Amino acid sequence: MTLVLDQVSKSFGGLAALGNVSFTVNGGEIVGIIGPNGAGKTTLFNLITGIFPPSSGKISYKGKNLLGIRPYKVTSLGLARTFQNIRLFGHMSPLDNVMVGAHCRTKAGVWKGLWRTPTQRKEEKRTRERAQALLQLVGVENDSDTPAGSLPYGQQRRLEIARALATEPEIILLDEPAAGMNESETEDLRLLIKKIQMMGKTVILIEHDMNLVMNVCDRLVVINFGQKIAEGTPAEIQKNPLVIEAYLGREEA
Amino acid sequence: MDVILNQYYLQIAIFVLLNAILGVSIYLTLATGQLSLGNAGFMSIGAYTCAILTVKAGLPIYLGIPIGGIAASFISIIIGFPALRLTGIYLAIATLGFGEVVRVIVLNLKVTNGALGISGIPTLGAKIGKALSALGFPHGVGGLTAQQTSNLMVLVVLLLCLSFLIFFCTRLNRSRVGRAFAAIKADESAAEAMGINTTYYKLLAFALGALIAGIAGGLSAHLTFFIGPKDFAYNRTVEILTFAVLGGSDLIIGPIVGALLLTLLPELLRSASEYRLMIYGALMVAMMAFRPQGLISEETVRFWKRKLGRGMKQ
Repeated sequence: MTLVLDQVSKSFGGLAALGNVSFTVNGGEIVGIIGPNGAGKTTLFNLITGIFPPSSGKISYKGKNLLGIRPYKVTSLGLARTFQNIRLFGHMSPLDNVMVGAHCRTKAGVWKGLWRTPTQRKEEKRTRERAQALLQLVGVENDSDTPAGSLPYGQQRRLEIARALATEPEIILLDEPAAGMNESETEDLRLLIKKIQMMGKTVILIEHDMNLVMNVCDRLVVINFGQKIAEGTPAEIQKNPLVIEAYLGREEA
Repeated sequence: MDVILNQYYLQIAIFVLLNAILGVSIYLTLATGQLSLGNAGFMSIGAYTCAILTVKAGLPIYLGIPIGGIAASFISIIIGFPALRLTGIYLAIATLGFGEVVRVIVLNLKVTNGALGISGIPTLGAKIGKALSALGFPHGVGGLTAQQTSNLMVLVVLLLCLSFLIFFCTRLNRSRVGRAFAAIKADESAAEAMGINTTYYKLLAFALGALIAGIAGGLSAHLTFFIGPKDFAYNRTVEILTFAVLGGSDLIIGPIVGALLLTLLPELLRSASEYRLMIYGALMVAMMAFRPQGLISEETVRFWKRKLGRGMKQ
């Protein structure tokens, strides 16, 4: 049990976005979080990564309480994320974007950067090489003349994954990575997610593409109107009447 | 030679360089996307600290100027902690208020001589002239008069300062810290989610900007031999900001070009001095309307690189 959510709730003013959601994620798993639009999936990611605190409940990672920890520290603890609405550093090159991700694993400050000390140069070289390898892994060309914001949509999504991987996470949270992708791109993405799992990382995935979710995930958590309505393997979830009702509606008797 | 090195041209060149240094200070705070209007305030702190130390405590100039810069940067960290919780226009208003607070404090303190200001500050030129005659060159070097030589030396000192700052900023931009600055400027919460301590880096950029503004303040005190509270009022801040607005704030060269143009322009427009402010205003409006990113942006550099690259291949 790596990540534990215990009775987590969040309300914005009078609006209850999430109510008493509990589940656990084990190391090396691919866990999918699914549910209709507005169910509270992204809110869940924002709570885990510390963008805002839950109204009640506990979130812990490897026994360490994540509440009240600022997002950059959550990232350095080993949880990295991508965003539903792509949030790359648009005018920077793809390589620089990935190198920013390595920030919390590197040390050189102003002084070392100014004089390019041997340790700084070595660190910079290692960061660059790792970033290049990650770009290759996700299949984005290392072209310094094209700013990240001008890349095709699918590439931008993959670049976000590379940037998150550069933080050397143990858990990577992907928020709708297949949104806007065609079938072959989605298939490439499925292979990429599997590769990430093989690198020994845990993946939490929010996704609407059921084909992808059912094929790649070990376990699914279903959320509807801020409540967890089901949890289980893809096969179990497909048969669950509550889930079918949430997605398709109830049949009139 | 005498035509080029006349007193008037040298004086203008000195002010161009001083303003270029101030341009670098606003560039650094803008590097994390923060619009701070406190640079005249920091300049004031640097100038007064330095002037008081050299005039009243008899410290040498080369110690006074860095201490002035450090004082400005120290104050910036104290006010930065609460102020940097604000963003955009709110930060601009808060830092503008800070500049006014500094002005009013300076106006009312005894040690700063109130509205009279501090006069009789030893100028850099005079100090260098004295040093030259002590070295056995009382009549200047290489056929130049003593005054030309010392003014040229001042120019060299300022040029060295500016070159170091440009070197500093380009090195910074291509390092881990520079990438963090750029990431914060592009998307602060995404930067935070990627593991960057945004508070720390925003404060760092703020303090570096204040350090340079403070040093520029100390330099200006020793260039003009008099400083008063009016020298660092609101319009000075706006002047510094317009360097970045005109030249662009993406690249270090932007505000420097802005400073060059905006220091030369009033001299060129001397014959039309009554219309100067109108021309200024019109220029600003035109910039906002047609080129809000400033004269020089990353896009400009990319464009010329491509164009020149193609030209070379042909």
